[in-house]
Amino acid sequence: MEQKNAVEIADFIARYLSYMLGAGVHTSRVVRNSKRLGDALGVDVSIHTSQKTATLTVMDRVGNIKDTRVLDIPAFPISFEWNADLSALSWAAYDGNMTLDEVKAKFEELVSKPKMNPVFVLFMASLANASFCRLFGGDIWAMLITFAATMIGFFTRQHLARRHVNHYIVFIVSAFVASICASTALTLGLDSAEIALATSVLYLVPGVPLINGVIDITDGHIQIGISRLVNALMLIVCIAIGMSGTLMLVKDSLL
Amino acid sequence: MIAVDIISDGLFAAVAAMGFGSISDPPMRAFKYIALLAALGHAARYCLMTFLGVDIASASFVAAFIIGTGSVWAGKKVFCPMTVLYIPALLPMVPGTYAYKTVFSLIMFLQGISSPTQGSEYLQAMIFNGAVSFSVIFMLAVGATVPVFLLREKANSMTRGSRYI
Repeated sequence: MEQKNAVEIADFIARYLSYMLGAGVHTSRVVRNSKRLGDALGVDVSIHTSQKTATLTVMDRVGNIKDTRVLDIPAFPISFEWNADLSALSWAAYDGNMTLDEVKAKFEELVSKPKMNPVFVLFMASLANASFCRLFGGDIWAMLITFAATMIGFFTRQHLARRHVNHYIVFIVSAFVASICASTALTLGLDSAEIALATSVLYLVPGVPLINGVIDITDGHIQIGISRLVNALMLIVCIAIGMSGTLMLVKDSLL
Repeated sequence: MIAVDIISDGLFAAVAAMGFGSISDPPMRAFKYIALLAALGHAARYCLMTFLGVDIASASFVAAFIIGTGSVWAGKKVFCPMTVLYIPALLPMVPGTYAYKTVFSLIMFLQGISSPTQGSEYLQAMIFNGAVSFSVIFMLAVGATVPVFLLREKANSMTRGSRYI
């Protein structure tokens, strides 16, 4: 194997790695998949990861040619579809003896698949929050108000995120908007108005990073696990700030 | 009546899991299993907490264990890694209200800092909410990961031979 080939493989694995980490896959899976992919292409791969960057060393097995680089991890939205597809790609390369060019072509095809329709996501998230309201004991009117409030709040979030506003500000604003819409339940004097108000912001709770963080900690990637948890904690603080704006306006007390 | 309660709890949890999951863009083929696992897990937690009086953290652990084990079986069917199925299914059980109430108690504590009795009440509320939310999240993730530890090889080759790429 010549130097050029090892460098090309390193280029591709760097891309694969940054896409997986960026899409919110837990660390041990990313490391395992990248090593498997390296194995399939005939190189040894070592990885060090942190929250925003990763270090990658690719070593070819014959000539001891090494290629080391530090990569920035891009901030993609979380994507379970990439998680499933890119994992499957690493197995396909391992089992099917694909060449580097074939793997690359397949990778480009997988990551350029269209994402889920944002209007469908908006509808599903609102429906989810309404059923959440029911799980907390809300009646049908509280559910309807939560549905509408979530729809407006989530719409705000999608639009601000599309304009690349800082995500802490996105969370504060959308929590405020959703809860101020849900506070109409208090004005209307519903029995379960409190429940509608309390559940209207739950679509923002960063459940995936929270669970991923604990999974990383149990896998021994303690540093990156704690980074994920701290990141999620910051977002929860933002939700609380946005919602406390509403509560101070409508009822003078937070708890 | 009890049966209706349990079934409706499962149904609404399934809708919640699909909706919150869809924010994170799961593959379409995974949705029905996410719904099934979330319904089973949430209904199990509801039964444990309501009828047996189990505390929220232990009940979440059992529910997460059920979801994790189910995702080993379902993952092989739709060629999805276990996390793609069990993380969305766990989302309805993430203690969001406890989490933001922790921050609220902190704000209220700071506002009532001059009155010692009120201050300590809010501090107590903060520790209560924080402890519940942390331990529930911890138990959820650990409970769902236990099957991965038990079945290392099988759990790590879910997407092998996938028909979907």
